[in-house]
Amino acid sequence: MPLISLDHVARTFDTPAGPFTALRDVSLDIERGEFVTVIGQSGSGKSTLLGLLAGIDHPTSGTVHVAGTAVHTLSERAMSAWRGTAVGIVFQFFQLLPTLTALENVMLPMDFCGTFAARERRQRARQLLERVGVADQAHKLPHTLSGGQQQRVAIARALANEPPVLLADEPTGNLDSRTSAEVLALFDGLVREGQTLVMATHAPAARAYASRVVSLADGVVIGDEVHARA
Amino acid sequence: MPVPELSPRWRKVARDLWIHRARTVIVVLAIAIGIVGAGSVLATWAIVRDVVDRGYVASTPASGTITVDAVTPALLAVLRADPALGSVAAGRTVAARARGAGGWIGVRLFAREDLADGRIGRLRLEAGEWPVADDAIVIERSSLDLAPAGVGESLFVAVGEGAPVPLRVSGVARDVGLAPGWMEHVVYAFVTPAALARLGAGGHLDEIRFVTRDPALARDSIRRVASGLVAAIASSGGRVRDVDVPVPGKHIHADQMNSLLYTQAGFGILALILSALLALNLVEAMLAGQVREIAVMKAVGARPAQVAAMYLGVAGIMGVMASAIAIPASAAIGKAYAGFTAGMLNFDASTASVPVWVIVVQLAVGAVLPMLAAAVPVWRGSRLSVSAALRDFGVSARPEGTGWLTRLGGVSRPVLLSVRNAFRRRGRMARTLLTLAMGGAVFLGALNLKAGIRSAMDRTFDAMAYDLTLGIAPGVPVDSLEAALARVPGVRGAEAWSAASGVLVGAEGTWGSSLGLTGVPVGTRLVAIQPTSGRWLADGASREMVVSARQAEDEPALALGNTVTLRIGEVTSEWTIVGIAAGVLGSAWVSREALAAVTGDPGATRAAVDFAEDDVAAQATTRERVHAALSATPTQWGLTPLVGGLRVTSSRVADTRASIEDHLLMVAEFLSVMGWLMLVVGGLALASTMSLAVLERTREIGVLRAIGARHGAIHLVVQGEGLAVAVASWALAIPLSAPMGIVLGNAFGRIFFKTPVAIAPQWSGVAVWLGVVVVVSLLACAWPAVRATRVSARTALAYE
Ligand SMILES: Nc1ncnc2c1ncn2[C@@H]1O[C@H](COP(=O)(O)OP(=O)(O)O)[C@@H](O)[C@H]1O
Ligand SMILES: [Mg+2]
Repeated sequence: MPLISLDHVARTFDTPAGPFTALRDVSLDIERGEFVTVIGQSGSGKSTLLGLLAGIDHPTSGTVHVAGTAVHTLSERAMSAWRGTAVGIVFQFFQLLPTLTALENVMLPMDFCGTFAARERRQRARQLLERVGVADQAHKLPHTLSGGQQQRVAIARALANEPPVLLADEPTGNLDSRTSAEVLALFDGLVREGQTLVMATHAPAARAYASRVVSLADGVVIGDEVHARA
Repeated sequence: MPVPELSPRWRKVARDLWIHRARTVIVVLAIAIGIVGAGSVLATWAIVRDVVDRGYVASTPASGTITVDAVTPALLAVLRADPALGSVAAGRTVAARARGAGGWIGVRLFAREDLADGRIGRLRLEAGEWPVADDAIVIERSSLDLAPAGVGESLFVAVGEGAPVPLRVSGVARDVGLAPGWMEHVVYAFVTPAALARLGAGGHLDEIRFVTRDPALARDSIRRVASGLVAAIASSGGRVRDVDVPVPGKHIHADQMNSLLYTQAGFGILALILSALLALNLVEAMLAGQVREIAVMKAVGARPAQVAAMYLGVAGIMGVMASAIAIPASAAIGKAYAGFTAGMLNFDASTASVPVWVIVVQLAVGAVLPMLAAAVPVWRGSRLSVSAALRDFGVSARPEGTGWLTRLGGVSRPVLLSVRNAFRRRGRMARTLLTLAMGGAVFLGALNLKAGIRSAMDRTFDAMAYDLTLGIAPGVPVDSLEAALARVPGVRGAEAWSAASGVLVGAEGTWGSSLGLTGVPVGTRLVAIQPTSGRWLADGASREMVVSARQAEDEPALALGNTVTLRIGEVTSEWTIVGIAAGVLGSAWVSREALAAVTGDPGATRAAVDFAEDDVAAQATTRERVHAALSATPTQWGLTPLVGGLRVTSSRVADTRASIEDHLLMVAEFLSVMGWLMLVVGGLALASTMSLAVLERTREIGVLRAIGARHGAIHLVVQGEGLAVAVASWALAIPLSAPMGIVLGNAFGRIFFKTPVAIAPQWSGVAVWLGVVVVVSLLACAWPAVRATRVSARTALAYE
């Protein structure tokens, strides 16, 4: 069974103007170790798709399996517990907690999910910060860090519970091109170490790193190409 | 402030509290105010109940008092042999006067065989030592302020015509069985029988106070014991004048004080509820500011219960901090107010402390209340949908229920916007409005109560068209007394009255309560009592009686239309209750002639004097002249006393009024303080609500800025919204203060006047309150308004 499997998934929102279908009959299998970029114009349904994979949203119809769990069947409460260990999420706006240091932000998922022994968490967080290259910023508050540094901390946090799947929604959308390249290179390294990554983006540059590019338009998959990686 | 042992999420809690310390302080203060409001009333109640219950029982009050012509050793021996009695003591009460700087003041001297004997109605010595010398006097604590001399000084006391005799004030004692001296405007003092003799009043005693052997007897059983004693006294040759058996074991004012404290407890709880509403507003505000962070925490794996625990923890921590501030404050206020309240019952609460359970209750309420208040918003916040929260942060919710406002014509746009905004978050606004309105209602209620007290006092005292009452002993002929008084310069009018004490005789001949009777001419010009039920005395010859509501309540036999049997001296007679009069003073009014016919006309023992002048100094002079006139050679004034020289005491009606009124007004004052506290809570609520409104409408304000709104216009929108709420709260407070006033007036009136205090709206107070809420609103909205002007068009629109 593939690591991620979507089968005939649709997502319809109720809006004041009537029901709006953001995803329509999406079927997609993703194997362990793939680096998938989901591309498409703004409003094409990329974030909606990632939300379903992250267990922060339910499909209107169809099934979503991630790492052996039927995500579409989980209750809201079960979803939060599952999400903490099964997926790591990286956001466009970094979304670090402003009153916690970089190190503490990375420790937070372990704290909530009770993963790793309490004594090990600090050490592990430090190693993750080293891995993403911002160990020297461990004790700073997020607002004192640059955008690129914040996104690196956010990636370390997403990796804290060793999730089988890493999800990134426009992770470079708020970064300049040089910093974007650095973040993409970091992702690339992680995938080379075996991490599975699904990244939504509308930045063409991102395609270069991907092993597979899924194109969305108006909630429909219009392309799915496998790339040879550089 | 790094706390190494804490896990990241609790470190976030601690750091958020610290970073938002201004808000933390406000929440803590708000909760603290509520706890102080409720806690101080609770502490007061606990202390007063304890002090009164224990203090009264510990004093071993007399089961009854029998007044005879003279207590002889033989009589005492007979009574002390009575197996039904636990102890017996002899005493005497003598009206006297003391010379002070401003003239004479009434003194009631209590002589006892042995003042130090604590077996009946124990006196607690607060200064000085037992025994009391024969040239010394011990002042009762509650009349210390009235007494012209302090401890160590000499008090010049005169009884009747006798010259003032200096008595050294050797101590201060408390007698919890007496109503406070300030209430009666009389100096109570204790002396030895020998001291009475020095004052020329004779050294004999005439009261027998007894305690039954069985301490648990009911009032009727004690009355039967008393009847037996009366028979025994008669058979051993004594003459009984009066018998008094009070309700056993219960302080006369305990019920009234309890209902007063219950009323206040109501306000304390109200303050607590309002502060909980404010805590609710602030927690909501806090959570609104945390929407994004909550979503992020949930995105990285926080379960709803974990998120809820964090924010409930925040509420609990703030509650505990609030308790830490509030508990000492409420203990201090409670102690002070308990001292005052206990003082109204003539108890001493100065050594009492707040019971531990009161502190535990406050701590528990302090910790739990904010959590309760926070429960619903925390529950909602913890269940926030992650995707929606991350998507919608910073954007205001859809306006609710404002359709009718958009149809309002002729209102300028910023004003319309303000009004519409004010109703956007209905729940939050409603709570803010209610808090401010309740503060206003309590404030106005207290103000109305004050006015009500004054007018009730007016009603009582307006019925008394005289300035001075005289006690005269022995009695003098009515005509000569009136003539003598009429000749004193400065006296506009005077009436000779008579006073007697009657004992109600029950169906089986048992002696019941004793009743003070004042005999006045039926057509009196100095008393204008309009009974609340029945009528005033109509016929000088018939035995009619107008009783006070206080007497009617204490003694069910004194109901309108009833005929009661009274034993006055040796004579038994029937009297009909024709009227019941409200008021603070408790005396039964009868016709002077009818009373004289029963008592065999011992002459006038009382007089009422109406001064010609209103000026205090002139009245003091006239008062001196009255005393001089009556103590001069009787023949000089055409006066023929029946026996010996005259003993004259006087008391000014205005003094009596002032001392009662001042104390009653203090209770109303306590309530207005509650009103002010609620106003502070309301102001904080408004400030927090407006800050939140500004935060929620960042984008909207940005739009306003983008279309060219200046600082002034933004200020106007925010301040206008605050004012809309403040003025609405003011308008709501007026009708709310009406039921408040009725509740207060009822509770208060029944306690002190035995009839509801009529509450009239105080329009000047209503105007003042409008000014107050406007100022509070301007202050409360100042910071939110500044914050709003700092929103730039660019940052507002850059959201999402
Ligand atoms: N909660 C929602 N309610 C209503 N419409 C939504 C909601 N979430 C997304 N949409 C709509 O669904 C479409 C796809 O959105 P999204 O997945 O965010 O697109 P993308 O990430 O590709 O820009 C958009 O038109 C968006 O307006
Ligand atoms: Mg998107």
